[in-house]
Amino acid sequence: MSTFSVIARREMRLAFRNRSVLITGFIFAIWFPVVSAFGIAAGAGEETVVLAGSIAAIILPIGVFMGYVFCADAFLREKRDGTIETLLCTPVSLRGLWEGKAAGVAVPAYLMTLISAAVTAATVSALTDAPVIAEPLLLFHLAAVVPVWVAASAGLIGAAQLALGMRENQILGFVFIFGFIFLIIALQEVAPGGPGLSVMTEAVLAAAGIALVALARFIAGKVTRERVVLTIP
Amino acid sequence: MNAVEVRGLSRSFDGRDILRDVSFTVGHGEIFGYLGPNGAGKTTTVRILLGLLAPGAGEARVLGRDLAVDDDARARVGVLFENNGLSDRMSAAGNLAYYAGLYGVEDPAERIDELLTLVDLADRRNDLVGTFSTGMKRKLGIARAILHRPEVVFLDEPSSGLDPGAQRMVRDLISELSRREEMTVFLNSHHLDEVQRICSSVAILAGGRIRAFDSVAHLTAASGRPVVTVALADPGESARAREEIARLPFVAGCEMNGEGLLCTLSDPGATPDLIAALVGANFRVEEVRRSSRSLEDIYLEHVAPAEGGA
Ligand SMILES: Nc1ncnc2c1ncn2[C@@H]1O[C@H](COP(=O)(O)OP(=O)(O)OP(=O)(O)O)[C@@H](O)[C@H]1O
Ligand SMILES: [Mg+2]
Repeated sequence: MSTFSVIARREMRLAFRNRSVLITGFIFAIWFPVVSAFGIAAGAGEETVVLAGSIAAIILPIGVFMGYVFCADAFLREKRDGTIETLLCTPVSLRGLWEGKAAGVAVPAYLMTLISAAVTAATVSALTDAPVIAEPLLLFHLAAVVPVWVAASAGLIGAAQLALGMRENQILGFVFIFGFIFLIIALQEVAPGGPGLSVMTEAVLAAAGIALVALARFIAGKVTRERVVLTIP
Repeated sequence: MNAVEVRGLSRSFDGRDILRDVSFTVGHGEIFGYLGPNGAGKTTTVRILLGLLAPGAGEARVLGRDLAVDDDARARVGVLFENNGLSDRMSAAGNLAYYAGLYGVEDPAERIDELLTLVDLADRRNDLVGTFSTGMKRKLGIARAILHRPEVVFLDEPSSGLDPGAQRMVRDLISELSRREEMTVFLNSHHLDEVQRICSSVAILAGGRIRAFDSVAHLTAASGRPVVTVALADPGESARAREEIARLPFVAGCEMNGEGLLCTLSDPGATPDLIAALVGANFRVEEVRRSSRSLEDIYLEHVAPAEGGA
């Protein structure tokens, strides 16, 4: 087995065993979208694609937030308690470690986001009788755009947690989340399709997500062992 | 080529010089004790050797390699820091299996069994490490450090938190590893007694500099302090023997203590004459032992002046 899958599988297993993170993620995955679902159902017209668009717009930031929630365990905790130092002495490169961890974070975060999407779609459908989940662009959004953004979130936040000190990291979490949400809204506004579900908007979001993953990879490659060790509290 | 080579190493933090022109070497298969007071820079030296910190000046090589850039060479090195490198939410065996995967250990199941038995944790193999005591975690940390059969292993205070029985287990294990697997052991320790028993050579770091670097045998050799302890078969005779000894021309002083008679000789080569004189006076001599200085004496001699005016 490659070291990538060794690391990713371990992080996944730990994530699924971490009750407090699961509960935080779960509450957020259910509570926030259900509350929004009532708003969507009330405000939107009868057109299914508009309803589906509102769901898509809520789910992307939730995916980003889930990436952040699951990073805390995989990156931040191991840094806080110093375990990361021993891991840095293994033959795995720092980037290799980051890749495995980011992937191991992204998978449970994505699954949690899908749960959230399913609950939202079911609630909206129940309230409006519109078959939102059958909307092809929403399915594309959930299957392609969301996972890329979850991976970008896990990757960027993970790289930052490796590189920064504990105090900076606390502030940074919020900066990241709001930065991501701002970016999503801005992209939707500038995309030729405009806000709501359209092929162009989805393509722009997917491309931007891929660019963010590449950026995260670049940043992770720039972080040095020394940087990580000196920021261990 | 030595297993570990440190040459002219310096490093500072925030303008404070922690290491200044530090040099020493560790031969293959040696057990090396790296000593020094708290904050002397022992862990910093190990971090530089492992490529976790960059040297300010000089170089630090393990197996001739720079571990900061050589991923493959890191696979031949093991380490135990103050943090054991274990996850509390995984089992003992699960933790070892993870590192086995990272190091690419062949036949990990067998090796894990062997190590868990070695550190006396076989019956706890499936328990979460979070439920372990400090000492149990330490033992598992040691097993983790040697899991991939490294050629060189760095142990930063391995016996901290261990009970006397476990300390002995660790001591025996280290000796055994160096003897049987020809592993080089780099030991940071404050247990001078432990170091004296198992290390072949030591370096003493204080005030940022190496104050002594030599074999343990050489450092603790009795030279310069001709003190001999004489035990008589009948300790009741000690007082009379002491009067006899005090009269001898090559004896500078003689005291009684719990072990027998502690004689300071004015001529370092006079031990046989002392024995001959006692036997000639019909004392039954049980044991004569040249007392060597303990590593602790030597350590304090080197560290005290450095702490005072470094
Ligand atoms: N990241 C860091 N930033 C600033 N100073 C540091 C850092 N790491 C170590 N130091 C300083 O370097 C000195 C040496 O620390 P080090 O941990 O190497 O000592 P040590 O010999 O291992 O001590 P101990 O026996 O207590 O473990 C200390 O004064 C410490 O404060
Ligand atoms: Mg230390």
